[in-house]
Amino acid sequence: MNLREETREIQEKLGEYCRSGEEPELPGISPGRIHHYRRLVQNVVKDTLDTAFPITLSALGEDAWALLVSDFFTAGLPQTPQVWKLPFEFYRYHAEQETGKRIQREYLDDLLLFEWMEIEVHTMPDREYPEFVEKGNLFLDRLAFNPEHEIVQLEYPIHTHPVNQALDKKGDYFALLYRLPESGNVKFLALSPLNTYIFSRLLEAERPLNEIKGEFARLAGIESGRYLDEALEKFFQDLMDRELILGFLKD
Amino acid sequence: MEGMVGLGLRRDIAEEILNRGTLSPDFLEFAPENWMGMGGTWKRVLDQAVERFPITCHGLSLSLGSPEELDWNFIRELKVFLDENQVKIFSEHLSYTKSKNAHLYDLLPIPFRRDAVDHVVDRIRKVQDMLERPVAIENVSYYTPVAAEMSEIEFVNQIVDRADCRLLLDVNNVYVNAFNHGYDAREYISQLPLNKVAYIHMAGHEQVEPDLIIDTHGRPIIDPVYELFEWTIKKMDPVPVLLERDYNFEDTEQIQSELNQIRALIKKHWRVEHESA
Repeated sequence: MNLREETREIQEKLGEYCRSGEEPELPGISPGRIHHYRRLVQNVVKDTLDTAFPITLSALGEDAWALLVSDFFTAGLPQTPQVWKLPFEFYRYHAEQETGKRIQREYLDDLLLFEWMEIEVHTMPDREYPEFVEKGNLFLDRLAFNPEHEIVQLEYPIHTHPVNQALDKKGDYFALLYRLPESGNVKFLALSPLNTYIFSRLLEAERPLNEIKGEFARLAGIESGRYLDEALEKFFQDLMDRELILGFLKD
Repeated sequence: MEGMVGLGLRRDIAEEILNRGTLSPDFLEFAPENWMGMGGTWKRVLDQAVERFPITCHGLSLSLGSPEELDWNFIRELKVFLDENQVKIFSEHLSYTKSKNAHLYDLLPIPFRRDAVDHVVDRIRKVQDMLERPVAIENVSYYTPVAAEMSEIEFVNQIVDRADCRLLLDVNNVYVNAFNHGYDAREYISQLPLNKVAYIHMAGHEQVEPDLIIDTHGRPIIDPVYELFEWTIKKMDPVPVLLERDYNFEDTEQIQSELNQIRALIKKHWRVEHESA
Protein backbone atom coordinates (compact mmCIF):
# COMPACT_ATOMS: atom_id res chain seq x y z
CA MET A 1 0.00 0.00 0.00
CA ASN A 2 1.55 3.29 -1.13
CA LEU A 3 -0.97 5.45 0.68
CA ARG A 4 0.12 7.15 3.91
CA GLU A 5 -2.11 6.59 6.92
CA GLU A 6 -2.87 10.31 7.02
CA THR A 7 -4.10 10.37 3.42
CA ARG A 8 -6.17 7.26 3.98
CA GLU A 9 -7.81 8.84 7.04
CA ILE A 10 -8.60 12.03 5.12
CA GLN A 11 -10.26 10.05 2.35
CA GLU A 12 -12.19 7.92 4.81
CA LYS A 13 -13.40 10.97 6.73
CA LEU A 14 -14.86 12.46 3.55
CA GLY A 15 -16.52 9.15 2.66
CA GLU A 16 -17.89 8.77 6.19
CA TYR A 17 -19.29 12.30 6.07
CA CYS A 18 -21.14 11.53 2.84
CA ARG A 19 -22.84 8.57 4.54
CA SER A 20 -23.44 9.83 8.08
CA GLY A 21 -23.54 13.62 7.77
CA GLU A 22 -21.12 14.15 10.65
CA GLU A 23 -19.02 16.99 9.34
CA PRO A 24 -15.29 16.23 9.59
CA GLU A 25 -12.31 18.49 10.02
CA LEU A 26 -10.44 18.17 6.76
CA PRO A 27 -7.30 20.10 5.86
CA GLY A 28 -7.17 22.31 2.80
CA ILE A 29 -10.81 22.34 1.80
CA SER A 30 -12.80 25.27 0.42
CA PRO A 31 -15.34 26.48 2.99
CA GLY A 32 -18.94 25.54 2.33
CA ARG A 33 -18.21 23.14 -0.47
CA ILE A 34 -18.04 19.60 0.88
CA HIS A 35 -21.76 19.44 1.63
CA HIS A 36 -22.29 19.18 -2.12
CA TYR A 37 -20.60 15.77 -2.04
CA ARG A 38 -22.93 14.52 0.65
CA ARG A 39 -25.91 15.94 -1.23
CA LEU A 40 -24.88 14.28 -4.51
CA VAL A 41 -24.17 10.91 -2.89
CA GLN A 42 -27.44 10.98 -0.94
CA ASN A 43 -29.39 11.92 -4.08
CA VAL A 44 -28.10 8.88 -5.96
CA VAL A 45 -29.01 6.53 -3.12
CA LYS A 46 -32.40 8.10 -2.43
CA ASP A 47 -33.38 8.18 -6.12
CA THR A 48 -32.35 4.56 -6.58
CA LEU A 49 -34.32 3.33 -3.56
CA ASP A 50 -37.36 5.57 -4.14
CA THR A 51 -37.62 4.26 -7.68
CA ALA A 52 -37.19 0.63 -6.64
CA PHE A 53 -39.73 0.66 -3.80
CA PRO A 54 -42.62 2.99 -4.70
CA ILE A 55 -45.24 0.89 -2.88
CA THR A 56 -43.22 0.63 0.33
CA LEU A 57 -42.49 4.34 0.24
CA SER A 58 -46.16 5.09 -0.17
CA ALA A 59 -47.17 2.63 2.57
CA LEU A 60 -44.70 3.99 5.14
CA GLY A 61 -44.90 7.67 4.26
CA GLU A 62 -42.00 9.99 3.40
CA ASP A 63 -40.67 10.47 6.93
CA ALA A 64 -40.55 6.82 7.99
CA TRP A 65 -39.12 5.90 4.60
CA ALA A 66 -36.38 8.53 4.87
CA LEU A 67 -35.32 7.02 8.22
CA LEU A 68 -35.03 3.57 6.65
CA VAL A 69 -32.92 4.93 3.80
CA SER A 70 -30.71 6.91 6.14
CA ASP A 71 -30.27 3.99 8.55
CA PHE A 72 -29.29 1.66 5.72
CA PHE A 73 -26.86 4.03 4.08
CA THR A 74 -25.19 5.01 7.34
CA ALA A 75 -24.81 1.53 8.81
CA GLY A 76 -25.44 -0.86 5.94
CA LEU A 77 -22.07 -0.80 4.11
CA PRO A 78 -23.28 -1.12 0.51
CA GLN A 79 -21.16 -3.72 -1.24
CA THR A 80 -22.39 -3.83 -4.80
CA PRO A 81 -20.50 -1.79 -7.40
CA GLN A 82 -23.71 -1.78 -9.46
CA VAL A 83 -26.10 0.76 -8.01
CA TRP A 84 -29.18 -0.89 -9.55
CA LYS A 85 -28.54 -3.88 -7.28
CA LEU A 86 -28.54 -1.66 -4.18
CA PRO A 87 -32.28 -2.25 -3.53
CA PHE A 88 -31.52 -5.92 -2.84
CA GLU A 89 -28.95 -4.95 -0.20
CA PHE A 90 -31.49 -2.52 1.26
CA TYR A 91 -34.05 -5.33 1.55
CA ARG A 92 -31.51 -7.72 3.06
CA TYR A 93 -30.26 -5.14 5.56
CA HIS A 94 -33.71 -4.36 6.90
CA ALA A 95 -34.65 -8.05 7.01
CA GLU A 96 -31.53 -8.79 9.08
CA GLN A 97 -32.16 -5.82 11.35
CA GLU A 98 -35.81 -6.87 11.79
CA THR A 99 -36.78 -3.29 11.06
CA GLY A 100 -40.37 -4.26 10.23
CA LYS A 101 -40.90 -5.57 13.75
CA ARG A 102 -39.21 -2.55 15.29
CA ILE A 103 -41.43 -0.05 13.49
CA GLN A 104 -44.51 -2.26 13.84
CA ARG A 105 -44.88 -2.79 10.10
CA GLU A 106 -44.43 -6.55 10.08
CA TYR A 107 -45.18 -6.72 6.37
CA LEU A 108 -42.04 -4.69 5.57
CA ASP A 109 -39.81 -7.65 4.63
CA ASP A 110 -42.45 -9.07 2.30
CA LEU A 111 -43.13 -5.78 0.60
CA LEU A 112 -39.45 -4.98 0.05
CA LEU A 113 -38.80 -8.51 -1.18
CA PHE A 114 -41.74 -8.45 -3.57
CA GLU A 115 -40.78 -5.08 -5.05
CA TRP A 116 -37.16 -6.19 -5.39
CA MET A 117 -38.21 -9.44 -7.10
CA GLU A 118 -40.04 -7.46 -9.75
CA ILE A 119 -36.70 -5.79 -10.57
CA GLU A 120 -34.82 -9.08 -10.26
CA VAL A 121 -37.11 -10.94 -12.66
CA HIS A 122 -37.13 -8.04 -15.11
CA THR A 123 -33.33 -7.81 -15.22
CA MET A 124 -32.11 -11.34 -14.46
CA PRO A 125 -29.84 -12.95 -17.06
CA ASP A 126 -31.70 -14.67 -19.89
CA ARG A 127 -32.50 -18.32 -19.23
CA GLU A 128 -32.51 -20.97 -21.92
CA TYR A 129 -35.95 -21.61 -23.36
CA PRO A 130 -36.93 -25.24 -23.97
CA GLU A 131 -37.71 -26.46 -27.46
CA PHE A 132 -41.45 -26.80 -27.69
CA VAL A 133 -44.43 -27.26 -29.98
CA GLU A 134 -47.67 -25.35 -29.57
CA LYS A 135 -50.09 -28.24 -29.97
CA GLY A 136 -50.36 -31.10 -27.52
CA ASN A 137 -52.32 -32.66 -24.70
CA LEU A 138 -52.19 -31.05 -21.26
CA PHE A 139 -52.34 -34.41 -19.48
CA LEU A 140 -50.39 -36.71 -21.78
CA ASP A 141 -47.55 -34.50 -23.00
CA ARG A 142 -44.72 -32.92 -21.02
CA LEU A 143 -45.26 -29.21 -20.53
CA ALA A 144 -42.77 -26.56 -21.65
CA PHE A 145 -42.54 -23.90 -18.96
CA ASN A 146 -41.39 -20.33 -19.38
CA PRO A 147 -38.02 -20.58 -17.56
CA GLU A 148 -37.93 -16.89 -16.64
CA HIS A 149 -39.85 -16.95 -13.40
CA GLU A 150 -39.33 -17.00 -9.64
CA ILE A 151 -41.62 -18.10 -6.82
CA VAL A 152 -41.65 -15.95 -3.71
CA GLN A 153 -43.01 -17.08 -0.35
CA LEU A 154 -44.64 -14.35 1.73
CA GLU A 155 -46.08 -14.12 5.23
CA TYR A 156 -48.52 -11.34 4.40
CA PRO A 157 -50.65 -11.05 1.24
CA ILE A 158 -49.15 -7.70 0.22
CA HIS A 159 -49.41 -8.74 -3.43
CA THR A 160 -53.19 -9.13 -3.33
CA HIS A 161 -54.30 -6.69 -0.62
CA PRO A 162 -53.55 -3.10 0.39
CA VAL A 163 -50.89 -3.30 3.10
CA ASN A 164 -53.18 -2.02 5.87
CA GLN A 165 -55.53 -4.93 5.17
CA ALA A 166 -52.72 -7.48 4.78
CA LEU A 167 -51.41 -7.07 8.32
CA ASP A 168 -54.06 -9.22 10.02
CA LYS A 169 -53.89 -11.99 7.42
CA LYS A 170 -50.58 -13.61 8.36
CA GLY A 171 -50.18 -17.00 6.71
CA ASP A 172 -48.43 -18.83 3.87
CA TYR A 173 -48.70 -17.03 0.55
CA PHE A 174 -46.94 -17.58 -2.73
CA ALA A 175 -46.44 -15.30 -5.72
CA LEU A 176 -45.12 -16.43 -9.06
CA LEU A 177 -43.32 -13.60 -10.85
CA TYR A 178 -42.50 -14.12 -14.49
CA ARG A 179 -41.09 -12.32 -17.50
CA LEU A 180 -43.10 -12.29 -20.69
CA PRO A 181 -41.13 -13.74 -23.60
CA GLU A 182 -41.75 -10.96 -26.14
CA SER A 183 -42.09 -7.72 -24.20
CA GLY A 184 -39.83 -8.60 -21.25
CA ASN A 185 -42.47 -7.12 -18.93
CA VAL A 186 -42.93 -8.70 -15.51
CA LYS A 187 -46.27 -10.04 -14.30
CA PHE A 188 -47.20 -11.97 -11.22
CA LEU A 189 -49.74 -14.58 -10.25
CA ALA A 190 -50.89 -15.32 -6.72
CA LEU A 191 -50.69 -19.08 -6.11
CA SER A 192 -52.27 -21.22 -3.42
CA PRO A 193 -49.85 -23.52 -1.54
CA LEU A 194 -51.31 -26.52 -3.45
CA ASN A 195 -50.90 -24.88 -6.85
CA THR A 196 -47.38 -23.82 -5.91
CA TYR A 197 -46.57 -27.44 -5.13
CA ILE A 198 -48.14 -28.68 -8.38
CA PHE A 199 -46.30 -26.09 -10.44
CA SER A 200 -42.93 -26.79 -8.79
CA ARG A 201 -43.37 -30.56 -8.89
CA LEU A 202 -44.20 -30.64 -12.59
CA LEU A 203 -41.31 -28.38 -13.38
CA GLU A 204 -38.94 -30.59 -11.43
CA ALA A 205 -40.32 -33.94 -12.60
CA GLU A 206 -40.46 -33.16 -16.34
CA ARG A 207 -43.14 -35.82 -16.65
CA PRO A 208 -46.67 -35.63 -18.09
CA LEU A 209 -49.38 -34.47 -15.72
CA ASN A 210 -51.21 -37.80 -15.88
CA GLU A 211 -48.20 -39.61 -14.41
CA ILE A 212 -48.05 -37.52 -11.26
CA LYS A 213 -51.52 -36.14 -10.74
CA GLY A 214 -52.21 -38.93 -8.23
CA GLU A 215 -49.71 -37.21 -5.90
CA PHE A 216 -51.71 -34.03 -6.10
CA ALA A 217 -54.95 -35.83 -5.38
CA ARG A 218 -53.49 -37.43 -2.26
CA LEU A 219 -52.08 -34.09 -1.10
CA ALA A 220 -55.39 -32.33 -1.62
CA GLY A 221 -57.32 -35.24 -0.09
CA ILE A 222 -59.57 -35.73 -3.09
CA GLU A 223 -60.33 -38.52 -5.52
CA SER A 224 -58.21 -38.54 -8.67
CA GLY A 225 -61.15 -38.15 -10.95
CA ARG A 226 -63.05 -35.73 -13.10
CA TYR A 227 -63.10 -32.98 -10.48
CA LEU A 228 -59.30 -32.99 -10.19
CA ASP A 229 -58.87 -33.12 -13.97
CA GLU A 230 -61.13 -30.12 -14.41
CA ALA A 231 -59.31 -28.15 -11.71
CA LEU A 232 -55.90 -28.99 -13.19
CA GLU A 233 -57.04 -28.20 -16.71
CA LYS A 234 -58.35 -24.82 -15.58
CA PHE A 235 -55.12 -24.03 -13.71
CA PHE A 236 -52.83 -25.06 -16.56
CA GLN A 237 -54.94 -23.35 -19.20
CA ASP A 238 -54.58 -20.17 -17.15
CA LEU A 239 -50.80 -20.67 -17.09
CA MET A 240 -50.83 -21.12 -20.88
CA ASP A 241 -52.86 -17.95 -21.36
CA ARG A 242 -50.31 -16.10 -19.25
CA GLU A 243 -47.39 -17.55 -21.29
CA LEU A 244 -46.07 -19.31 -18.20
CA ILE A 245 -46.56 -22.52 -20.13
CA LEU A 246 -45.25 -22.05 -23.62
CA GLY A 247 -46.50 -25.32 -25.09
CA PHE A 248 -45.33 -28.94 -25.05
CA LEU A 249 -41.78 -30.24 -24.91
CA LYS A 250 -40.45 -31.80 -28.07
CA ASP A 251 -39.71 -35.46 -27.54
CA MET B 1 -13.32 6.13 -34.48
CA GLU B 2 -11.23 9.32 -34.81
CA GLY B 3 -13.43 12.34 -35.35
CA MET B 4 -16.65 10.44 -34.60
CA VAL B 5 -19.28 12.05 -32.37
CA GLY B 6 -20.90 9.80 -29.80
CA LEU B 7 -23.67 9.92 -27.25
CA GLY B 8 -24.13 8.27 -23.86
CA LEU B 9 -26.60 5.39 -24.12
CA ARG B 10 -29.23 5.94 -21.44
CA ARG B 11 -32.42 3.95 -21.13
CA ASP B 12 -34.54 7.08 -21.54
CA ILE B 13 -33.19 7.72 -25.04
CA ALA B 14 -32.43 4.18 -26.24
CA GLU B 15 -35.59 4.13 -28.33
CA GLU B 16 -34.75 7.50 -29.88
CA ILE B 17 -31.32 6.25 -30.90
CA LEU B 18 -32.01 2.66 -31.88
CA ASN B 19 -35.47 2.74 -33.39
CA ARG B 20 -36.79 6.23 -34.06
CA GLY B 21 -33.56 7.67 -35.40
CA THR B 22 -34.27 11.06 -33.88
CA LEU B 23 -30.83 10.99 -32.30
CA SER B 24 -28.00 10.02 -34.61
CA PRO B 25 -24.62 9.61 -32.96
CA ASP B 26 -21.69 7.87 -34.67
CA PHE B 27 -20.89 5.77 -31.61
CA LEU B 28 -22.34 4.99 -28.20
CA GLU B 29 -20.93 4.96 -24.71
CA PHE B 30 -22.36 3.37 -21.60
CA ALA B 31 -21.39 2.65 -18.03
CA PRO B 32 -20.73 -1.11 -17.78
CA GLU B 33 -22.05 -1.16 -14.21
CA ASN B 34 -25.50 -0.19 -15.48
CA TRP B 35 -25.73 -3.09 -17.94
CA MET B 36 -23.53 -5.92 -16.67
CA GLY B 37 -25.36 -9.10 -15.72
CA MET B 38 -28.66 -8.01 -17.19
CA GLY B 39 -31.01 -10.04 -19.34
CA GLY B 40 -34.45 -9.37 -20.72
CA THR B 41 -35.42 -6.08 -22.31
CA TRP B 42 -32.22 -4.25 -21.46
CA LYS B 43 -29.99 -7.03 -22.76
CA ARG B 44 -31.83 -6.81 -26.07
CA VAL B 45 -31.30 -3.05 -26.17
CA LEU B 46 -27.62 -3.52 -25.37
CA ASP B 47 -27.20 -6.19 -28.05
CA GLN B 48 -28.88 -3.95 -30.60
CA ALA B 49 -26.61 -1.04 -29.66
CA VAL B 50 -23.48 -3.19 -29.88
CA GLU B 51 -24.53 -4.61 -33.23
CA ARG B 52 -25.14 -1.23 -34.79
CA PHE B 53 -22.60 1.15 -33.24
CA PRO B 54 -18.96 1.25 -32.21
CA ILE B 55 -18.90 1.17 -28.40
CA THR B 56 -16.91 2.85 -25.66
CA CYS B 57 -17.42 2.15 -21.97
CA HIS B 58 -17.08 4.62 -19.13
CA GLY B 59 -16.68 2.95 -15.73
CA LEU B 60 -18.16 4.25 -12.49
CA SER B 61 -17.09 1.93 -9.71
CA LEU B 62 -13.47 0.83 -10.03
CA SER B 63 -12.67 3.47 -7.43
CA LEU B 64 -9.11 3.88 -8.65
CA GLY B 65 -8.26 6.43 -5.98
CA SER B 66 -9.78 4.55 -3.08
CA PRO B 67 -7.91 3.47 0.05
CA GLU B 68 -9.82 0.17 -0.33
CA GLU B 69 -8.46 -2.91 -2.06
CA LEU B 70 -9.38 -3.24 -5.73
CA ASP B 71 -12.41 -5.44 -6.29
CA TRP B 72 -10.83 -8.21 -8.36
CA ASN B 73 -14.01 -10.20 -8.82
CA PHE B 74 -15.70 -7.16 -10.28
CA ILE B 75 -12.70 -6.41 -12.53
CA ARG B 76 -12.78 -10.00 -13.84
CA GLU B 77 -16.48 -9.66 -14.66
CA LEU B 78 -15.78 -6.31 -16.26
CA LYS B 79 -13.15 -7.81 -18.54
CA VAL B 80 -15.60 -10.44 -19.77
CA PHE B 81 -18.21 -7.76 -20.39
CA LEU B 82 -15.80 -5.50 -22.29
CA ASP B 83 -14.64 -8.40 -24.44
CA GLU B 84 -18.15 -9.65 -25.15
CA ASN B 85 -19.33 -6.23 -26.24
CA GLN B 86 -16.33 -5.41 -28.42
CA VAL B 87 -15.60 -2.26 -26.47
CA LYS B 88 -13.13 -0.05 -28.32
CA ILE B 89 -12.12 2.22 -25.44
CA PHE B 90 -12.57 1.80 -21.70
CA SER B 91 -12.29 4.77 -19.38
CA GLU B 92 -12.62 5.45 -15.66
CA HIS B 93 -12.66 8.46 -13.37
CA LEU B 94 -9.68 9.81 -11.50
CA SER B 95 -11.60 9.74 -8.24
CA TYR B 96 -12.79 7.33 -5.57
CA THR B 97 -16.24 5.89 -4.95
CA LYS B 98 -15.62 3.43 -2.14
CA SER B 99 -14.40 4.05 1.38
CA LYS B 100 -14.41 2.08 4.65
CA ASN B 101 -15.91 -0.93 2.96
CA ALA B 102 -18.90 0.98 1.57
CA HIS B 103 -19.70 2.06 -1.97
CA LEU B 104 -20.78 5.69 -2.26
CA TYR B 105 -22.00 5.82 -5.88
CA ASP B 106 -20.53 9.24 -6.66
CA LEU B 107 -17.11 10.60 -7.44
CA LEU B 108 -15.10 11.88 -4.49
CA PRO B 109 -11.93 13.92 -5.00
CA ILE B 110 -8.59 12.23 -4.38
CA PRO B 111 -6.18 14.39 -2.36
CA PHE B 112 -3.55 15.78 -4.76
CA ARG B 113 -0.67 14.21 -2.88
CA ARG B 114 2.50 12.35 -3.79
CA ASP B 115 1.51 9.16 -1.99
CA ALA B 116 -1.88 9.27 -3.70
CA VAL B 117 -0.10 9.49 -7.06
CA ASP B 118 1.96 6.39 -6.20
CA HIS B 119 -1.15 4.59 -5.03
CA VAL B 120 -3.28 5.42 -8.07
CA VAL B 121 -0.47 4.71 -10.55
CA ASP B 122 0.01 1.26 -9.05
CA ARG B 123 -3.71 0.53 -9.22
CA ILE B 124 -4.16 1.74 -12.79
CA ARG B 125 -1.29 -0.47 -13.89
CA LYS B 126 -2.81 -3.47 -12.15
CA VAL B 127 -6.23 -2.82 -13.67
CA GLN B 128 -4.75 -2.42 -17.15
CA ASP B 129 -2.89 -5.71 -16.74
CA MET B 130 -6.04 -7.50 -15.64
CA LEU B 131 -8.24 -5.98 -18.35
CA GLU B 132 -5.51 -6.50 -20.96
CA ARG B 133 -6.24 -3.10 -22.43
CA PRO B 134 -5.26 0.51 -21.74
CA VAL B 135 -7.53 2.54 -19.50
CA ALA B 136 -8.28 6.18 -20.28
CA ILE B 137 -8.41 8.23 -17.09
CA GLU B 138 -10.85 11.11 -16.90
CA ASN B 139 -10.01 14.44 -15.29
CA VAL B 140 -13.00 14.77 -12.96
CA SER B 141 -14.78 17.90 -11.83
CA TYR B 142 -14.31 18.65 -8.13
CA TYR B 143 -15.82 21.20 -5.81
CA THR B 144 -13.09 21.49 -3.23
CA PRO B 145 -9.50 20.31 -3.09
CA VAL B 146 -8.76 18.11 -0.06
CA ALA B 147 -5.38 18.23 1.71
CA ALA B 148 -3.55 18.99 -1.52
CA GLU B 149 0.24 18.98 -1.72
CA MET B 150 0.40 19.76 -5.43
CA SER B 151 -1.74 21.32 -8.14
CA GLU B 152 -4.41 19.41 -10.03
CA ILE B 153 -2.45 19.56 -13.29
CA GLU B 154 0.67 18.13 -11.60
CA PHE B 155 -1.43 15.36 -10.09
CA VAL B 156 -3.10 14.39 -13.37
CA ASN B 157 0.08 14.60 -15.42
CA GLN B 158 2.16 12.54 -13.01
CA ILE B 159 -0.46 9.80 -12.99
CA VAL B 160 -0.96 9.67 -16.75
CA ASP B 161 2.79 9.66 -17.31
CA ARG B 162 3.73 7.06 -14.73
CA ALA B 163 0.75 4.73 -15.15
CA ASP B 164 1.30 4.55 -18.90
CA CYS B 165 -2.42 5.03 -19.39
CA ARG B 166 -4.49 7.17 -21.75
CA LEU B 167 -6.34 10.34 -20.88
CA LEU B 168 -10.05 10.99 -21.29
CA LEU B 169 -10.12 14.75 -21.61
CA ASP B 170 -13.40 16.09 -20.27
CA VAL B 171 -13.48 19.63 -21.62
CA ASN B 172 -16.53 20.56 -19.58
CA ASN B 173 -14.78 19.40 -16.41
CA VAL B 174 -11.80 21.60 -17.20
CA TYR B 175 -14.17 24.53 -17.63
CA VAL B 176 -16.01 23.69 -14.38
CA ASN B 177 -12.81 23.28 -12.39
CA ALA B 178 -11.24 26.44 -13.81
CA PHE B 179 -14.37 28.36 -12.78
CA ASN B 180 -14.65 26.75 -9.35
CA HIS B 181 -10.98 27.03 -8.45
CA GLY B 182 -10.01 30.17 -10.30
CA TYR B 183 -7.51 28.99 -12.87
CA ASP B 184 -7.13 29.45 -16.60
CA ALA B 185 -8.73 26.58 -18.51
CA ARG B 186 -6.59 27.04 -21.63
CA GLU B 187 -3.40 27.19 -19.60
CA TYR B 188 -4.46 23.93 -17.93
CA ILE B 189 -5.15 22.17 -21.22
CA SER B 190 -1.88 23.45 -22.67
CA GLN B 191 -0.04 21.55 -19.96
CA LEU B 192 -1.80 18.22 -20.58
CA PRO B 193 -0.18 15.49 -22.68
CA LEU B 194 -2.65 15.91 -25.55
CA ASN B 195 -0.96 13.12 -27.51
CA LYS B 196 -2.28 10.73 -24.83
CA VAL B 197 -5.90 11.74 -25.17
CA ALA B 198 -7.97 8.70 -26.16
CA TYR B 199 -11.16 10.70 -26.51
CA ILE B 200 -13.00 13.79 -25.34
CA HIS B 201 -16.12 14.29 -23.25
CA MET B 202 -18.44 17.26 -23.65
CA ALA B 203 -21.39 18.04 -21.38
CA GLY B 204 -23.60 20.67 -19.83
CA HIS B 205 -23.46 21.81 -16.22
CA GLU B 206 -25.34 23.89 -13.68
CA GLN B 207 -24.20 26.96 -11.79
CA VAL B 208 -25.62 26.58 -8.26
CA GLU B 209 -23.84 29.46 -6.51
CA PRO B 210 -22.14 32.62 -7.77
CA ASP B 211 -18.77 30.90 -7.52
CA LEU B 212 -19.71 27.24 -7.95
CA ILE B 213 -20.68 25.07 -10.91
CA ILE B 214 -21.84 21.49 -10.48
CA ASP B 215 -21.14 19.03 -13.27
CA THR B 216 -24.69 17.73 -13.76
CA HIS B 217 -24.80 16.52 -17.39
CA GLY B 218 -28.38 17.73 -17.37
CA ARG B 219 -28.30 20.87 -19.49
CA PRO B 220 -27.13 21.94 -22.92
CA ILE B 221 -23.46 22.70 -23.41
CA ILE B 222 -22.82 26.43 -22.99
CA ASP B 223 -20.94 28.52 -25.55
CA PRO B 224 -17.75 29.01 -23.49
CA VAL B 225 -17.38 25.22 -23.31
CA TYR B 226 -17.78 24.95 -27.10
CA GLU B 227 -15.16 27.68 -27.43
CA LEU B 228 -12.78 25.80 -25.13
CA PHE B 229 -13.43 22.63 -27.10
CA GLU B 230 -12.70 24.37 -30.42
CA TRP B 231 -9.53 25.88 -29.01
CA THR B 232 -8.47 22.44 -27.75
CA ILE B 233 -9.11 20.37 -30.85
CA LYS B 234 -7.02 22.74 -32.94
CA LYS B 235 -4.06 21.60 -30.84
CA MET B 236 -4.53 17.86 -31.23
CA ASP B 237 -5.03 15.01 -33.62
CA PRO B 238 -8.53 13.68 -34.20
CA VAL B 239 -10.08 11.51 -31.48
CA PRO B 240 -13.67 10.47 -30.78
CA VAL B 241 -15.82 13.05 -28.98
CA LEU B 242 -18.72 12.12 -26.76
CA LEU B 243 -21.72 14.12 -25.57
CA GLU B 244 -22.73 13.14 -22.04
CA ARG B 245 -26.35 13.69 -21.02
CA ASP B 246 -27.71 12.06 -17.87
CA TYR B 247 -30.97 13.96 -17.25
CA ASN B 248 -33.58 16.05 -19.05
CA PHE B 249 -34.02 14.07 -22.22
CA GLU B 250 -37.34 15.59 -23.25
CA ASP B 251 -35.96 17.84 -25.94
CA THR B 252 -34.25 15.39 -28.29
CA GLU B 253 -34.01 18.01 -31.03
CA GLN B 254 -31.86 20.10 -28.76
CA ILE B 255 -29.63 17.11 -27.92
CA GLN B 256 -29.28 16.34 -31.62
CA SER B 257 -28.37 19.98 -32.24
CA GLU B 258 -25.54 19.63 -29.71
CA LEU B 259 -24.26 16.57 -31.58
CA ASN B 260 -24.45 18.59 -34.80
CA GLN B 261 -22.59 21.52 -33.29
CA ILE B 262 -19.77 19.28 -32.08
CA ARG B 263 -19.71 17.61 -35.49
CA ALA B 264 -19.45 20.98 -37.24
CA LEU B 265 -16.47 22.01 -35.12
CA ILE B 266 -14.75 18.70 -35.76
CA LYS B 267 -15.35 19.05 -39.48
CA LYS B 268 -14.02 22.59 -39.43
CA HIS B 269 -10.74 21.70 -37.76
CA TRP B 270 -10.00 18.03 -38.12
CA ARG B 271 -11.15 17.46 -41.68
CA VAL B 272 -8.55 20.01 -42.84
CA GLU B 273 -5.83 18.15 -40.95
CA HIS B 274 -6.96 14.85 -42.49
CA GLU B 275 -6.88 16.28 -45.99
CA SER B 276 -3.47 17.84 -45.56
CA ALA B 277 -2.01 14.74 -43.93
